[in-house]
Amino acid sequence: MVNLTIDDKQVTVEKDATIYDAAKSAGIKIPILCHDKKLHPFGGCRMCLVEVEQMKGRLIPSCTTPATEGMIVRTSNEEILKARKLVLELLLLKHPVDCPVCDAAGDCDLQNLTYEYGVSKNPLQDEKFRWEIDYINPLIERDMNRCVHCGKCARICDEIVSFGAYTFINRGIDAKMGTAFDGPLDCEFCGSCVSVCPVGALLSRPFKFKARWWSMQKVKTVCSYCGTGCQLTLGVKDNKVLTTIYDENQGFHNGQLCTRGRWGYQFVNSEKRLTTPLIRKGNSLVEAGWDEALALVASKLREAKGAVAGLVTPRLTNEELFLFKKFFTDGLGCESIDHSAGYAHGALTEAAVKGLGQGASPSVIADIQKTDLLLVVKTDAYETHPVLGFEINLGVKRQGVNLRLVSDKKGKLSRLPGAQTLVHTPGSEVTLFNTLTNIIITEKLADAGAAALPGYELLVKGVAGYTPEKGAVATGLGADELTALAREYAAAEKALILLPLGLGYPGHNATLAQALLNLAILTGRIGKEGSGVLFLGEKNNSQGAVDMGIIPGAKGKDAAGIIAGCASGEIKALYIAGENPVVSYPDRKKVEAALEKVGFLVVQDLFLTETAAKADVVLPVCSFAEKDGTFTSVGRNVQKVTKAIKPVGTSKTDFEIFNKLFAEFTGKPLYLSSQAVFAEIAESVPGYAGLTWAKLGSNGIVRPVALSPKFVPVESVVSVPQPGKFALLTGSALNHSGTLSQYGEGPMMVCPEGYVEFGRDDAKKLGLIEKGTVTVTSDAGSVKLQVKLGNRLPAGVLFAPYHFGVNSINTVAVGAPVTWVNVAKAE
Amino acid sequence: MLNVASPLINGLKITLQHLFKKPVTLQYPTERPVVGPRFRGLHALNRFHDRSKCVACYLCPTVCPAKCITVEAAEDPITHEKYASRYDIDILRCIFCGYCVEACPVDAVKMTENFELANYKREDFAYTQEMLTDKK
Ligand code: SF4
Ligand code: SF4
Ligand code: SF4
Ligand code: SF4
Ligand code: SF4
Ligand code: FES
Repeated sequence: MVNLTIDDKQVTVEKDATIYDAAKSAGIKIPILCHDKKLHPFGGCRMCLVEVEQMKGRLIPSCTTPATEGMIVRTSNEEILKARKLVLELLLLKHPVDCPVCDAAGDCDLQNLTYEYGVSKNPLQDEKFRWEIDYINPLIERDMNRCVHCGKCARICDEIVSFGAYTFINRGIDAKMGTAFDGPLDCEFCGSCVSVCPVGALLSRPFKFKARWWSMQKVKTVCSYCGTGCQLTLGVKDNKVLTTIYDENQGFHNGQLCTRGRWGYQFVNSEKRLTTPLIRKGNSLVEAGWDEALALVASKLREAKGAVAGLVTPRLTNEELFLFKKFFTDGLGCESIDHSAGYAHGALTEAAVKGLGQGASPSVIADIQKTDLLLVVKTDAYETHPVLGFEINLGVKRQGVNLRLVSDKKGKLSRLPGAQTLVHTPGSEVTLFNTLTNIIITEKLADAGAAALPGYELLVKGVAGYTPEKGAVATGLGADELTALAREYAAAEKALILLPLGLGYPGHNATLAQALLNLAILTGRIGKEGSGVLFLGEKNNSQGAVDMGIIPGAKGKDAAGIIAGCASGEIKALYIAGENPVVSYPDRKKVEAALEKVGFLVVQDLFLTETAAKADVVLPVCSFAEKDGTFTSVGRNVQKVTKAIKPVGTSKTDFEIFNKLFAEFTGKPLYLSSQAVFAEIAESVPGYAGLTWAKLGSNGIVRPVALSPKFVPVESVVSVPQPGKFALLTGSALNHSGTLSQYGEGPMMVCPEGYVEFGRDDAKKLGLIEKGTVTVTSDAGSVKLQVKLGNRLPAGVLFAPYHFGVNSINTVAVGAPVTWVNVAKAE
Repeated sequence: MLNVASPLINGLKITLQHLFKKPVTLQYPTERPVVGPRFRGLHALNRFHDRSKCVACYLCPTVCPAKCITVEAAEDPITHEKYASRYDIDILRCIFCGYCVEACPVDAVKMTENFELANYKREDFAYTQEMLTDKK
């Protein structure tokens, strides 16, 4: 600790604090322009000048100067004010000062400081900058005439995003923040640079000229795309969500978002939103009233009682999912409910339940930066959960986390300093983990307490056959590589495994999760800070869906069983809430046939999705911006979602609909509010005990888990390569999440359609070029897709994202970890 | 003692004086008032080439105490300039305070000498950008 005096106030701060930090902690405001608490100190703008008694004679930049013992600091006097004024005058010298047409106005540091310091005249004169403005980029408008050279954009893109899109180019007065060779900006489009830019040099193009900053209501809520659970501030005006607003104090991520969170909000007020219920009359869906539609749903469900099933999306709130479950069990006496095609949550509902005694990750997000060795299964963790990707970047670059990846392809994470990627044969993950477990047992590297845990003997027997040599053959890696990884993992003081889950990753199922849980338990990682396993649930409320029990009961069917039951006629009525199985479940033809076959299909959605188009009744529902509730994100963080706008059209929340049906079918009274349901959740769901709406506050609460580790050996199923065929891997594209982001303009502007990615060598052999077309064919079907070339895929392996309704890859993919396909160049 | 007569006489004197003065009332509409140059009558928008000068900075709707100005901004597809695709004043709610004129950073909105705003229908008091913009 260091003691110093700032403006006659005694301040005590940590040793590594700067003068600026010290002043801030004492509530003394020092103006800044180029400083950002998330970034390394830069000291470029000189706005934060202060006077230090011991360094008299010159003014000291407070944001870069460490606080030292006994320092006497003055944050404002005539000389300091004059110096700051001069800084502003110099900045304004070549600045266009076109505030009336600049979207930053009202939220611009330069404007605010100019006002605060009363810089109304400039004694200096010069020509204005005349840089060409980038109007071409669909998401980020760059007007370098307004740039104040704070370098924050370049620093955040490099330090946190690890992309490195910008750098200063030219020298002296010609210096400019630019891209490589001053070309167009083609990056990840996370928008971090836009959020930290203190002026209007970097602006959101989709929001351009839409509203003034001060005229919008700022509503704090949680992102509704992936399971990371980033906190979000929505900019709302006239009942419309117009943009997302950056708040550096929000969440563990300090307000950082990814493309979907920052630029995918347009689905809320999309023209395509359903506004009234639809009922099938013959071949078409016609508009109907709510009473008529709900009455029809109720009567058909009654008719089909005993042969009803439900599929629900984990995008709904906990309260809605809880009511859905109650409606199905208490109202319909039905146990056939499921979500995410079954496999996308198997890691939690099966593996964690068996191996840990409950269905949640033992670890939390904060562990990522606290660990010593981070073992990520698939580089895709970055694509599925980009903001957790930033956490990984920071862990590796700032906390010295050792990053190891086991993946079927390379990825962005592979390029982090010190990262090692073991690229294995597609579909061999379970073998790989069993082999690691075997090595640790045979080399006696296991935790001392492991042998006493239940199932140890079985595990030893179970993995006995997974010798490094056999593992090497199955995974295509060297036996020495596997042994080295096992030793490194066992030796690390803290080790954390990340496993992304999702509809695009059928291989990331209960078996794989069990295999890596065995490994973590064996090395004593469970329940320790910075160690363990973190399952990355795909959707915003994947963890919540598991907690609320959206899984088939003992006599119920799972998602695959439900689809099969529809096809066989065993299921007579299917209730789909928010899921889009036609696009997101494997084997599209089979799903479509099943949905056409089922006697009665209700779909509840925001849009007339490919699935809703097949329904007998379509009920329009509200988006996350139109309701209150809670989401439980990766690492079990229960967070509040806040209503920002009135429901679009006559749409109702899923809550209202389930509530009505529940009351009608059980004769019980309606729940009065989400809060009332949450209170019941707190009473009946393990882990939620003691939580109250008020306690959740603005940051949410990480709900506790009770862990009882146990070994459950698993066998790997090897995917036998088929000669002459390619191994097709499905997954997530960086800018998309599920099928919802298709309705967000931002993600569609940068990634508008499905594609299939080839390694350069394969492409060369087949004579394929970027953006050419190929036909991909499997036993299930065939689809024409655009070609994308990359350097990350090994020979014989293809990758395709699953989000798209048009030319969807699930026409071809069958839900196995690897789908074997033929590829032909299409004309 | 209280003098009852003198205030009465004083009052009558004033009344009589006024009988011989020029009346202040105008015989409107045959007689017209002389309107001062800083009079705050109906608004008008200055013109800049083929549209109004308003750059849709939203300062006037922000400052307007009656909240009667509606501005919507748009981007010129060629020059990328910001302009007002909509500029409406609901003159029935306007209190003619002139703050909008004062707030405008580009001198787009002004107030004219036109005070004759009577009309038959409520809708006719909704002034659009087209009605407000100076003719070419
Ligand atoms: S960047 Fe700030 S100071 Fe510059 S024009 Fe925009 S609002 Fe005005
Ligand atoms: S949007 Fe993200 S990736 Fe792109 S330049 Fe900005 S910070 Fe970098
Ligand atoms: S573009 Fe913005 S963030 Fe980047 S250097 Fe310029 S002012 Fe700073
Ligand atoms: S999609 Fe996920 S990572 Fe991106 S902003 Fe939303 S919660 Fe965060
Ligand atoms: S004169 Fe006053 S009340 Fe009327 S439009 Fe202008 S600011 Fe509003
Ligand atoms: S804020 Fe300290 S130099 Fe810029």
